[in-house]
Amino acid sequence: MKKLQIAALILLAVAGLFFCLLGSGALSWMQSGLIGFLSPISQSGHIVKSSLGSIGKDLLTLDQLETECGRLDAENRRLRAENNGLRDLLEENNHLRQVLGYREHSSFLLVPATILSHDSGVWWNTVKINRGTKDGIATDMPVITDRGLIGKTTTVSENISEVLLITDENCKVAAKVEGTKEQGICAGPRIGNGDLQLTFLSKLADLQPGQKVYTAGVSGGVFPSGIALGTVKKFHPRELDGEATLEPAADLDNLEEVFIVTGGK
Amino acid sequence: MRILFLILLLCLLPVAVVIQDLLPALPPSQERIQLLPVLFCFGALALPFIPALFFALATALIQGLVLLQFQSGHAEGGLAPAILFFFGWAIVLQMSGEVTHGLRWELHALGSFLVTITMLGGEFLMICAKRGGLPVDMTLLTRLAVPSGLSLLLAPLLYLLLRSLVPISSEGTLTKNPAPFDL
Repeated sequence: MKKLQIAALILLAVAGLFFCLLGSGALSWMQSGLIGFLSPISQSGHIVKSSLGSIGKDLLTLDQLETECGRLDAENRRLRAENNGLRDLLEENNHLRQVLGYREHSSFLLVPATILSHDSGVWWNTVKINRGTKDGIATDMPVITDRGLIGKTTTVSENISEVLLITDENCKVAAKVEGTKEQGICAGPRIGNGDLQLTFLSKLADLQPGQKVYTAGVSGGVFPSGIALGTVKKFHPRELDGEATLEPAADLDNLEEVFIVTGGK
Repeated sequence: MRILFLILLLCLLPVAVVIQDLLPALPPSQERIQLLPVLFCFGALALPFIPALFFALATALIQGLVLLQFQSGHAEGGLAPAILFFFGWAIVLQMSGEVTHGLRWELHALGSFLVTITMLGGEFLMICAKRGGLPVDMTLLTRLAVPSGLSLLLAPLLYLLLRSLVPISSEGTLTKNPAPFDL
């Protein structure tokens, strides 16, 4: 083995050992740096993905148009084609009005953000959003939609932040059940299936399917009180406590626009 | 040319991470495609020993950092498991390349499957060791098997793509043959 190869091996071993011994602070800094480094690629990829998605939508619209055109005369076809083009704008307009209305009527200070990507980790449920420290985002800020809570920020870089979803086992939220005095801890199961688990309920709670669950807002906690978490799907008593399975209020598989809660009004 | 190949593979690492994040989850149980282990396998087989270890370190850093979770400022785990895992697999793949007298697409496909399934299994065991409990059910097996199977299927495509980008001797890059990197 050449001297250079031995030197390279020693260098690799030292580098490996160095990275193995890094503490939380250095690792957080490195992860934030990596997310920042990846942000141009992520944002470009998101734009390409959105463009490709809109091609699919346009094609679907044309298909729908074709079906309608078969039933209408030539003049109606032309008018319907025009209307269809405007309908997309109307839907977008209505959606944006709804989002804006929620933002204005909310009792929180909200920063709007777009989901860039869902992380590919199998055992973790996180997404990346296009807001970072330059937008006033910090770690442990709640992230919501107009339908309910979706998670909290964990790693924040200048332009991109990572959001830990409520379906992750590590995202624990104090929760209360509508119409009862029941409170518990809500989190996702380890091997997630999209549902939430509400544990530490009274074993006599007897919750009914359809009951709504909200954040309880523990003092000094991350999540404010009163944000919708989900609805009860089923309840079963265990040996010492009761556990409910919840369906999340927000559609976590099809997230597009979200809000980061930066404070109260 | 060979140095360029290593640089190309290193540049592809972050691209692979971003692409696998952007790819939609597959129904019915929202399985994710894992591109990084497939790319790592190719690098570990195609590169000579020292650059393969260097490539393994780079892969471990990226994979480890991407998956690292923080709870109230404290990292859940560190980079050591990822570094040991990818170093270990780089050595095993180099040795298996020696047995097959070079880089073969079958070896790459099989390696991709094994690296993916052991990586996911290892991640799950690490989580269980830290948080307690070991829930084993059909969903767990699906979560392990489907991404690994997809890696097995995707590996030949990536192999052909990378082989077309940079021609590598079919006899491999091991000691019996001229080393592409003269380190």
